[in-house]
Amino acid sequence: MIKFNKENFHKVKNGFLSGFLAIALASLTITSPALAEKNTITIGIEADLARLDPHISTTWNTFKALLHMYEGFVAEDLLAENVETPPIVPSLAESWEISADKKTYTFKLREGVSFHDGEPWNAQAAKFNLDRMTNPDFEFHQPGSVGLLSWVWGDLESYKVVNDFTFEIKLKQPNAEFLRRLSAGGSGTPRMISPAAVRKYGNDGINTNPVGTGPFKFGEREVGVQTVLVKNSGYWDEKRVPKFERLILRGIPEVTTRELGLLTGELDMISTPSPDSLEYLEAQGMTMVKGPVSTIYPIWLNFREGPLKDVRVRRAMAMAIDREGMTKYLRRGTATPAYGILNYGGPGWDPEYRDFPYDPEGAKKLLAEAGYPDGFETRLDWTMGGGGDVNTRADAEWLQRDLGRIGIRAKIELFDNGTYWDMLAKGTREGTCCMQVSWGETGFFWLDLILPTTAQPPNGFNSGYYENPKMNELLASARATSSEAEMVKILHEIRDIVTDDVAFIPLYTPIQVYAMRPEVKGFVLAPQHWADYTSVYKE
Amino acid sequence: MIRLIINRIFATILVLIGVSFVVFAALHFSPGDVARTILGLGATEERVQALRQELGLDRPLLIQYWDWMMALLRGDLGRSISLGVPVSEVIFDKIWASLLLMGASFFLTVSFGLLFAALSGGYHRSLMDRLITLLMLLLASLPPFWLGIVLLIIFGLKLRIFPISGVGAMADDATLYVVAMHLILPAVTTAASSLAVVARVTRSAFIDEMGEPYVQSARARGLSQRRIISIETMRNVLPSFVTIAGLQIGFLFSSALFSEIVFNWPGIGLQLYLGIVQRDFPVVQGCVLAIAIVFVVGNLLADILSIALDPRRRG
Repeated sequence: MIKFNKENFHKVKNGFLSGFLAIALASLTITSPALAEKNTITIGIEADLARLDPHISTTWNTFKALLHMYEGFVAEDLLAENVETPPIVPSLAESWEISADKKTYTFKLREGVSFHDGEPWNAQAAKFNLDRMTNPDFEFHQPGSVGLLSWVWGDLESYKVVNDFTFEIKLKQPNAEFLRRLSAGGSGTPRMISPAAVRKYGNDGINTNPVGTGPFKFGEREVGVQTVLVKNSGYWDEKRVPKFERLILRGIPEVTTRELGLLTGELDMISTPSPDSLEYLEAQGMTMVKGPVSTIYPIWLNFREGPLKDVRVRRAMAMAIDREGMTKYLRRGTATPAYGILNYGGPGWDPEYRDFPYDPEGAKKLLAEAGYPDGFETRLDWTMGGGGDVNTRADAEWLQRDLGRIGIRAKIELFDNGTYWDMLAKGTREGTCCMQVSWGETGFFWLDLILPTTAQPPNGFNSGYYENPKMNELLASARATSSEAEMVKILHEIRDIVTDDVAFIPLYTPIQVYAMRPEVKGFVLAPQHWADYTSVYKE
Repeated sequence: MIRLIINRIFATILVLIGVSFVVFAALHFSPGDVARTILGLGATEERVQALRQELGLDRPLLIQYWDWMMALLRGDLGRSISLGVPVSEVIFDKIWASLLLMGASFFLTVSFGLLFAALSGGYHRSLMDRLITLLMLLLASLPPFWLGIVLLIIFGLKLRIFPISGVGAMADDATLYVVAMHLILPAVTTAASSLAVVARVTRSAFIDEMGEPYVQSARARGLSQRRIISIETMRNVLPSFVTIAGLQIGFLFSSALFSEIVFNWPGIGLQLYLGIVQRDFPVVQGCVLAIAIVFVVGNLLADILSIALDPRRRG
């Protein structure tokens, strides 16, 4: 029996104390990794990032990181919900004035903002960046950005520092889309780099040492593995101050591996799960966020290919394709049919517009009228898909079947995405009727690359040799309009002519999908090729 | 023997020079244009031509090759187009990650390959022999990308024993244990088919040896079957085992390419895949060259080892 004396009491007390301490310590060591985990969001994306210099960045995946580190004068508000196109909001410019002739933009810059390295943001820094992008005589000029950013600076006349926080840009002609182009991203983006960082790391050094003003700072990167961004606690915009400490982007090209990583909790969120897995992931308790994206999958028709020279044949092909069936049964709700060349999310998109009816019988008649009652043989040159595409081969097989029903016998040839773009740049080859890539932006600048006669290969992607000089004039005048309504009016005219000429057959607008673990909340899916991750948090 | 080895080394160097030319020429003639890749979609043809001139892409192939070779000897593999950093920097870590994976799968291949061969060849026509033969047939016919995903679903998702992807080296708690846990599934996936090939070929060597008179005499002297397999016949089986195991290095590389993609293992295979997808010619060249060097050097070592092991070839 234990005697309860003073000595024993001390022993017991000490025992209790040390036991308590041990429990407290244990619980601390248990909670701290959990806390760290709560403050880290790991996202599995389709591919590792390319170079991190915004003026020469290349892939849409890379922009998923860049948009969190760098900012420009204006931005697209990717946290705005239930919009077709993200609204343009002030960013490093607080406000701006546009002159009466729509050619001079005066930006009032935001005061008290600094780059991640402490360098202040002001009109001098803006000039440094414009010099870097556009001035070949500048010490730190980035030659690669001239071509990549021609869609932004193509109309640039001059720019100057007015005072410390006022910056002026003059254009050669009005450009109704100028602010949209300034705010856009993708391949090459006019966002601001710390001048001190460019001086310190050199022009090439920015690829590995990105320094901007955004809500996240660059942490570390292991190429092919992951990129870690760290919260910028001094960020100026309260609305976009991140709700967590570390954002980890992991490029995982194999979709099954991404999905398994999500299911085991190695990843908190993934982009683009396979359409076949959506039901399974949902059944496992994952949250799915879906929404359309400013993209369209059009088919380029080859105007130099014998039968296709006749507009009736092209129209028959368009009428033979069952777009609704395709989105319903093949894409299983991860796409909606697209009508007309203007893409969802871009200017002038009209949900009510319809181009060609689905009418295989009518198509057959039309084909016979054109002199091909028994159809003809041709080829579909197709790609296995780029970043966000899953199984575009199945699209080609669907087309092969639909065209077959009106007597057009098509072979399919598949190419990797890089080769495919090169082929597109060279122009559709002989014997091929159709090619397809996904394209579309929140602006209409991509139409400049596919519609005008001046964009025929090798100078652009009018790869089917669509020959209508009217396009050149109309596109130029759409750009030079001074109001959006006027611009949209001309864009509708362009759309209708393209439909009448059957220059392209639009197929569908993809629905992009993010899948996330049940504890991940607050994610807003923008109708863009990228999203703002600052609002995400874990419960 | 020394002369034979020196000959082999010379031959290896010649092979490497040949490989470098093939790598260079293959990429030169493959579709696609470096200049256009660099300049992006919006570039005009004039600008593309100007950059081609600047990069020297319009010069004769042999001169370009010579320049490339001279730079290579200085350790300069060029600059990655997609990443904007020197290729050597990009692929250096990847080579180590790949060698780690290759080393582990090679270890599995030789150890289990020899074990299974001894167990089945040594006990020819036993039940164990049949079972192992069946298992090897199965392993040899499973494509690595399929096997990898099945292993992931069983051990990663259902049983939660192993992590799904990556090397784990950048995790905060990176230890030998963490890396080892990441390594096991990719190594098994990579090794599977090579292991089966090694086991099958070595098994027939065992069966041949078991019929030799010296084995019968060993049996007559009362030596146990275990001793006969592990000591008496082993020595004569080793040369053919080493040769077939050496040949597996190349096959391991091609399986590693798939398991690196499935397991997102940041090795040279995954980098090669990314390089191809992004049209990053200098990275593709660097990766293929690195793979070729490891392959050729690996075969050289296997050759030297089998020469050393086989008295008939020592000359």
